[in-house]
Amino acid sequence: MRRNLHLWILSFSGLAVIVAYPHLFGIYYTNFFVKFAIFGMYAVSLNLLLGYMGVLSFGHAIFFGTGAYATALALTHISGLSLIPALLIGGFSGGILALILSLLLVRVSGTAFAMLTLAFGQLLFVFALKFRNITGGEDGIGGYPIPSLNIPGIVSIDMLEQTNFYYFAITVIAVSIWMMWFYTRTPFGSLLVGIRDNENRVDYMGFRLPHTKAVNLIVSGTFAGISGGLYALFQNLVSTVGILDIHTSFYPIMMSYIGGIGNFFGPVLGSAILHILEDVTFRFTERVDLVTGLVFILVVLFAPQGIAGVFSNIRERFVARAAGQPAVEGGI
Amino acid sequence: MSPTTILYISQGIHGLAYGMLLFLLASGLTMIFGMMGILNIAHASFFMLSAYFSYTIVRLTGNFWLGLLIAPVITAMCGALVERFLLRKVHARGHLAELLITVGIMMVILEGVKAGWGTESLVVKIPQSLSGLIHIGGLSYPVYRIFIIVLALVVFGLMGVVLYKTRLGMAVRAAVSDPEMVNALGINTSLLFMGVFAFGTWLAGVAGAAAGPLLTVFPGMADLLGMDAFVVVVVGGFGSLSGAFIVALFLGELNAYGIQFLPRLAPVLMFVFMAIVLSFKPKGLFGERE
Repeated sequence: MRRNLHLWILSFSGLAVIVAYPHLFGIYYTNFFVKFAIFGMYAVSLNLLLGYMGVLSFGHAIFFGTGAYATALALTHISGLSLIPALLIGGFSGGILALILSLLLVRVSGTAFAMLTLAFGQLLFVFALKFRNITGGEDGIGGYPIPSLNIPGIVSIDMLEQTNFYYFAITVIAVSIWMMWFYTRTPFGSLLVGIRDNENRVDYMGFRLPHTKAVNLIVSGTFAGISGGLYALFQNLVSTVGILDIHTSFYPIMMSYIGGIGNFFGPVLGSAILHILEDVTFRFTERVDLVTGLVFILVVLFAPQGIAGVFSNIRERFVARAAGQPAVEGGI
Repeated sequence: MSPTTILYISQGIHGLAYGMLLFLLASGLTMIFGMMGILNIAHASFFMLSAYFSYTIVRLTGNFWLGLLIAPVITAMCGALVERFLLRKVHARGHLAELLITVGIMMVILEGVKAGWGTESLVVKIPQSLSGLIHIGGLSYPVYRIFIIVLALVVFGLMGVVLYKTRLGMAVRAAVSDPEMVNALGINTSLLFMGVFAFGTWLAGVAGAAAGPLLTVFPGMADLLGMDAFVVVVVGGFGSLSGAFIVALFLGELNAYGIQFLPRLAPVLMFVFMAIVLSFKPKGLFGERE
């Protein structure tokens, strides 16, 4: 009961902060928050593969980028397209691409999976650069109309107003992350963890491995696509750099690792840490990635479970001490 | 000879030179992978680092040969340090951690290079004897590209002798196919790993020092060749040297003739080729392990 109360107070104060945030911190930090949240969601979608199924998607930008391009292209070419369908088109494109790639990707695991996804990421990157008449090449696609959020007969919210977009984006992201969280809590989610820990055993128990992996790939691709679509709406510009390039694939991996891949919300924490780190570093030097790269190496070296892992270690020790038990690793 | 034939032949040699450069880079990558199971994302970054080292050495001493000799050695030492103090620490945790470490190193080298040398293209001066054109039966061809082909062949020759004629080479080849067994037989595999990693980065360094004058030295050069080398390793089969050699030469030619006949699609061709190969043989053309 007391625990429940704590949780309620925590959730309400969190909600209050999020609602009040744009009015407290101004437009620069509002956009900063939106970017952090979009990348947090994108990293969570990657962690569905990395943390729950145990495979590293090294080209996750293909799903993010496909979602972004699909949303942008749909808004450019379909006149009068409204907001939610545009976003869903992004999600569907990511999912369909994952479906196609899963034919090949479910057959491999480990380093081969990482290499194949990296290879497909580069393939799509080059395609986007070369098919200029569709994707705009290096210049990308920009200036497409951002529709307002219409609930017929009730209200029409202008999405070009950045504070409005903040509320919209945060809602979409919160719902998506909740859906992913729910998804990992289903028996199917446990199956994924089983595949991560002992693939053969899950196989012998009679579950169909390729199908299971494919479904998870599609779910991950769909949510990455939605986050890409949101990013396209947020930036009103999609080009290969920052959306489809190799660094866009690396960021969610770094976020997941820095935050902690063993924790569902680890990637969100990682996204927050990385964005704050970048913002602070940028005030001192232009070479931001030098610092983030070093931090990343240090985390991989010394904190394999990420910052979330460090926190839970400390808490475990603290709780164990408080209960009058010695903090023995492994228990018993 | 008709001008068209000459054009085709010179494109062919272009492709050969590029293919050789690719093999220099890819051979190190595939050796490291075959032996240690590490996909070294930072491999091309070492290639770039060496190009910058050679630029500085050439500028300070005015001697191109000195740069070609020393820069790869310094790069190899950096590689050995990285293996000893970073990769070995996480080796027990599996390949994923090693892979991520190399991602971090890639970012650090890229940004470090930008901080140290700036972002603009730097030109490495080449000696009189290597500049200019060579004339064979109506065909005029830049000496420097021929030099790259010769250099690569010399390196391969040395590598072949070491790998196939010495005890050390035997240990390395054995460790590529089964590191645990070699360790059990009483060979110090950690030292061997460090040696192979250093040697792999040395190969990348030679490629970098040689490529400097050809491509100019700039922060994007790692991306430029790194992806191609990666494709070579993936298509040739992870850990297969002969596969890497064949595929590197093939890709060099594909690239050269692709630029001539389908200029817009040349970079795509390579990836399409890779996608086709991987769809039928996920382990690559000559690969045995994943």
